[in-house]
Amino acid sequence: MSRTTRKIVIAGVMGAISIFLGASHLGFIPWLAGAALTIMHVPVIIGAVLEGPWVGLAIGFIFGAFSLLQGAIAPTGPADVWFTNPLVSILPRLLIGPVAWLVYKALKRANEIVALAVAGVAGSLTNTILVLGALGLFRFLPWALIGTIAVTNGLPEAVVAAIITVAVVAAWKRIETGRKGSTV
Amino acid sequence: MPMASEFELLGRVTIGQYLPTGSLVHSLDPRAKLLVVLLLIIVVIVSNSLIGLSLLLLAVLAGLAVARIPLRFALAGLRPMLPFLILLALLQVFAIPQYSIGATVIWHRGILTITDRSLLAGILLIARFSIMALGLSLFSFSTTTTELTHGIEHLVRPLQTLRLPAHEFALVVNIAIRFLPILAEETERLMKAQASRGADFGRGRRNFVQRTRLLLPLLVPLFLVSLRRADQLIEAMEARCYLGGKGRTHLIRLQERLPDYVVVAGALGLATGAIYLSRVNADRLLWSWLSSHL
Amino acid sequence: MDGAEEPLIRIEGLHYTYQAGTHRAVPALCGIDLTIHAGEYVALLGANGSGKSTLLRHLNALLLPTAGNVWIAGWNTRDATHLRNVRTTVGMVFQVPDSQIVATVVEEDVAFGPENLGIPEDELRQRVDWALSTVRLSELQHRASHLLSAGQKQRLAIAGALAMHPRCLLLDEATAMLDPVGRRQLLETVGHLHQDGMTVVAATHNMAEAALTQRIIVLSEGQLALQGEPRAIFSQIETLRALHLDVPHPTLLARELSARVDGFPADLLTIGELADAVATYLGEPAGAAI
Repeated sequence: MSRTTRKIVIAGVMGAISIFLGASHLGFIPWLAGAALTIMHVPVIIGAVLEGPWVGLAIGFIFGAFSLLQGAIAPTGPADVWFTNPLVSILPRLLIGPVAWLVYKALKRANEIVALAVAGVAGSLTNTILVLGALGLFRFLPWALIGTIAVTNGLPEAVVAAIITVAVVAAWKRIETGRKGSTV
Repeated sequence: MPMASEFELLGRVTIGQYLPTGSLVHSLDPRAKLLVVLLLIIVVIVSNSLIGLSLLLLAVLAGLAVARIPLRFALAGLRPMLPFLILLALLQVFAIPQYSIGATVIWHRGILTITDRSLLAGILLIARFSIMALGLSLFSFSTTTTELTHGIEHLVRPLQTLRLPAHEFALVVNIAIRFLPILAEETERLMKAQASRGADFGRGRRNFVQRTRLLLPLLVPLFLVSLRRADQLIEAMEARCYLGGKGRTHLIRLQERLPDYVVVAGALGLATGAIYLSRVNADRLLWSWLSSHL
Repeated sequence: MDGAEEPLIRIEGLHYTYQAGTHRAVPALCGIDLTIHAGEYVALLGANGSGKSTLLRHLNALLLPTAGNVWIAGWNTRDATHLRNVRTTVGMVFQVPDSQIVATVVEEDVAFGPENLGIPEDELRQRVDWALSTVRLSELQHRASHLLSAGQKQRLAIAGALAMHPRCLLLDEATAMLDPVGRRQLLETVGHLHQDGMTVVAATHNMAEAALTQRIIVLSEGQLALQGEPRAIFSQIETLRALHLDVPHPTLLARELSARVDGFPADLLTIGELADAVATYLGEPAGAAI
């Protein structure tokens, strides 16, 4: 079986999930003061952990490009104003996958579950820190406020991302090795 | 926003909002439109010139008129954003300390200060967002999803010669769009199954823990179903001799025509102009000319 | 070897084990010898896990044998240089309609296979038009693929295989997820293709579908359990039951009737045959009933 075909399809399918979570609003969890947590970046982490950094990069691009498009044509909140800038919406998202993959690769020998959880946290924090960093750098928000958002939004998002990553990837790997058709 | 009380998701996962009017804009080569959108995004970021951005806004409005898109359609996405937009612009004007360093104070009362730079930043924020919103709306009103995928595939194809994975990227985008209706269908099925076991996806705001506990039994199976479907698609692609992009031919051929060249050339000219106006600080020159002559 | 004598599909001593060589090894096929000639219509029966899908996946090199060999039109599937030849000779239609459609537009999905083969543009168009008209989807060629019914999606999948000009079609429970109308239309399409010379190998759980074929191969636990013409196979009701398989409903009814009515035939397969037999028994000319 061709590894390339698998990488292409997994990137496409995870990209679709990210778009779907955004377009259907299933990927937003109401949070403090009307702000929303997002899990649209979780498919990027899962794709990267399963198929490597390039797949993570591709899904991150799809996630970013869609949040730019959605921010412009169907905006729902203040963040969408910033996301019309690709340096905020696309560039930071490219790194979510590679970071998650590096962390997973470094830790998986020690403990698979821990590696998945930490990869979920690392990927999620990459998203939080780089997006907020861009917002500060381009002077969209004062740094003082950015620190607060990093804690109030970034940490719960990281926890949710870790839970979903562990649940999905562990279950999938169990299915893959338990099922006889693992090499299809 | 509350989740849909009904399970109908299919209608809500379209990318964009195609509005067939049969105009010249609709019939443009999707590659030309994609190039124009790319130029628009770049210029909107790079140019700090209000004159330049005004020209861009005029061009986008002209495009909407030619495309016969009613303005209220194009503004529909913008209107609910007005309060946020004003709030964020005020944030720029009053709350970003960097804008007051080395800037001229225009207005000052108590802790509130407006400088020339902070005022400009606030106006730029509104101008940039409006142009992006109207420009991308114009694109999505006039371009179908199929045209979008064709455009992307043809536009990146030359990059293949630079040994970039252009074909692979185009296929990834194609599969992502192909999978959206499948995901909507699977999610509907999962939601119905959960609802029959007592989960309530109905209206009403829930807190974080409640919402997460509701979402996890939906999301984890959705990921697993999608991965299984991905496996099936891989098998089907290999059975149909997919062995990478090498030596592939193409059923669909896009044909560029004169209007496509004209539009791209016009956009290039406008983009260069807007960036040039920003580089030479045209706004300041105009301002000082106006203030010395009036 | 003599080309004219070479069967389309030849399988010798085929063994396949999932995760071979690990502690999780699961044997799926245990020594299959089988020959299928060009133009045959073969049904593959067997309970879940009997190895039907695994066997089919060996016929277009999606899987390679753990031991033994598979030859398609004389090409050994292990020989990677003939991978394209093998997969164009043997097209496959899978169970889940949605998961085998690659493109978002009907005609572009049909083109996916021949595009991979590098077929030149004008011939590509001809192949697509021909394949779509063969499965009677021509008027939907510009439709979004996700808007088709399940039955239309399966016919689209057949068109996608046909566009590669295969000599053989493999159907892996292709009718399992269809409603009765979709199933009937799919089987009609397959029947027409077979009449025009296509070799068809169909794995199925549907006994009425198996009754339409020329030869039934029954698998059990990775081995050939029974093989023969449908009439001969379905007369062995007890053996089939032991293998967790049914027989077609008309066959059961005919058997009951023949036990009670003197001279009523027991070996009927289809509703049509049953109706004719009843009509004959009642003294009507055959074919006039219904």
